[in-house]
Amino acid sequence: MTDPSANRERRHPAEHSAVNEPHAPGRFPSGSPDSGLSLTRRELLKSGTRGLGLLGFGAATGFLAGRDRKADTLWQINPDRCIQCGRCATACVLEVSAVKCTHSHGMCGYCKLCTGYFEPEPINLDEGAENQLCPTGAIKREFIEDPYYEYSIINELCIGCGKCVKGCNMFGNGSLYLQINHDRCVNCNICAISLECPAQAFVQVPVGQPYLLRGKGTAGK
Amino acid sequence: MSENLPASPPAPVHSGDAGKEMNDGGVSGQDARASVARAFCPDPSLPQTAASPIGSDMPPSPAAGRRSFLRAAMWGGGIAGLGGLAGLAARRLAGGNATNTAAKSALGPEFTYDVARFQTSDPALLRYEESARFPVNLTPPRNLAVAADGTIFVCGTGGIRKFSSTGKPALTIALDQPVVSLALRPNGEILAGQAGKITVMDAAGAVVAVWSDFSAGMLPTSIALTKDWIFVADAGNRVVLKLDASGKQTGNIGARDPARNIRGFVVPSPYFCVRMAPDGLLRVANPGEHQIEAYTLNGDFEMAWGKGSFALAGFCGCCNPVSFDIFPDGSFVTCEKGLPRVKLYNSSGEFTGLVAGPEAFPEYLQAANAGTPDSLGSGIYSVIDPSGRVLVLDVIGGTVRIMQPKERKP
Repeated sequence: MTDPSANRERRHPAEHSAVNEPHAPGRFPSGSPDSGLSLTRRELLKSGTRGLGLLGFGAATGFLAGRDRKADTLWQINPDRCIQCGRCATACVLEVSAVKCTHSHGMCGYCKLCTGYFEPEPINLDEGAENQLCPTGAIKREFIEDPYYEYSIINELCIGCGKCVKGCNMFGNGSLYLQINHDRCVNCNICAISLECPAQAFVQVPVGQPYLLRGKGTAGK
Repeated sequence: MSENLPASPPAPVHSGDAGKEMNDGGVSGQDARASVARAFCPDPSLPQTAASPIGSDMPPSPAAGRRSFLRAAMWGGGIAGLGGLAGLAARRLAGGNATNTAAKSALGPEFTYDVARFQTSDPALLRYEESARFPVNLTPPRNLAVAADGTIFVCGTGGIRKFSSTGKPALTIALDQPVVSLALRPNGEILAGQAGKITVMDAAGAVVAVWSDFSAGMLPTSIALTKDWIFVADAGNRVVLKLDASGKQTGNIGARDPARNIRGFVVPSPYFCVRMAPDGLLRVANPGEHQIEAYTLNGDFEMAWGKGSFALAGFCGCCNPVSFDIFPDGSFVTCEKGLPRVKLYNSSGEFTGLVAGPEAFPEYLQAANAGTPDSLGSGIYSVIDPSGRVLVLDVIGGTVRIMQPKERKP
């Protein structure tokens, strides 16, 4: 019979003697003394590491499974969740992101002082570069009639940083918002931006309804 | 140091070599695994026989090997499954957190919308201080009014709630359709503005009449009363409706008419306020022009004041003020969204001080800076009660704040 107290001993295996110990050198009894099973510290560590590895693998797989694109769906941004963090501009696998600002003209107030177009406290309310909010100059401003101006997104210049969206949301009515443009998006199985989006704003939408639009009339896309 | 190396380290045997050896009639794969074990674990106490599985005391029974393999596989599968469930749960939890504002992108500062410098104000400009606040229990509240006796009425989604002047609940009038504006008649009747109609109720909340003969899209965001007339700011059609005492529309005020020097109201979002001033003229906010305009009761434009600016003296953003009220001396209290601030102007429109600066509304600033949906559609409303206090409706906080003058107004 194995001495049960040996279970509680944690001596270094080298201290054990093959002569006066009923177990092989470097081995500790495991389970009941009658089980006949024994486990070395190295085996214990090895098994523990394997178990942890499997647990981590499973956790990662489970986490990613929630983001994996389902069949017949496309990635899109839910504008009501988007917090305009700027990651859409940098996390996309494309060199210039597939995310672009979208403008709902049906919602837009056609404001003379558009907070999505002008820097806070601009020098003048005109199209001078020093007055424009967009670092890439991706918004076009056109006079319609006093005091109304129309704003349009130049998709080729927009990088999807969301700076104008924040200005519009903070002071206006949210007619500017971000969307994935599907003429550019390569629809990765796991969208790289969705992995970085801190607001969980990336959702899967049916292929037949690829955009989540605000308002009635929408331009840009 | 080569001296520290084993004298003749056993050469590791790769699986390819093992296969080659086997094909050549050499050692079996099991022997090869054993030699690997010997190579890396030269401890002579370890099993050295080719017949024993490596690191195991079990006899070399194929059934036992399969059993242990299956057992290990089941354990592994179970652990991985648990991990998977934990991962899915983590994703669910993460999905509910839509307000992680700590996120930073790799973009430079030129890509950041920064109005932090306007989100503070000089405390020396504060002319009022908060003496109390009370919850209104409407989600969300939308507007408020005060009766001649100081009774406070707050409306919003769910109906109308009546409070004493100290904030004690007195009456709840439940209504299905959200109420966006309120006015109180001297006879105790309540006019409740709802999309497309105005509901008239007696003091107990019983419906007396519903006025709904208006243009399509009518949204009555503010109501002002005179002895004979009712003026309704219609944000949907961007005009002020002039109604008689029975609710019949008799005309419009503020429709674009260059011949009368009326440029029209610019109302990009549903904030459009009208008040009756002590001088007998109507005051109407023109938020897109950042001005408060004066009109006669017949609709003639008289004057306007105000300018667009993020500085305290102006009205910020695209469209402010969202609401205002007028003191008996003709001076104004105004409310702005975006940069939440409640300010004071004299009757000529000169900035004289603050009732509450942006710092007084941390939830508004947090929502605006985080870009969460709360930052959209969250106005601030104020009315002046008969004792000169300013009652401020904090929509995000769901409270009415009672602001008391710190000193006699200058």
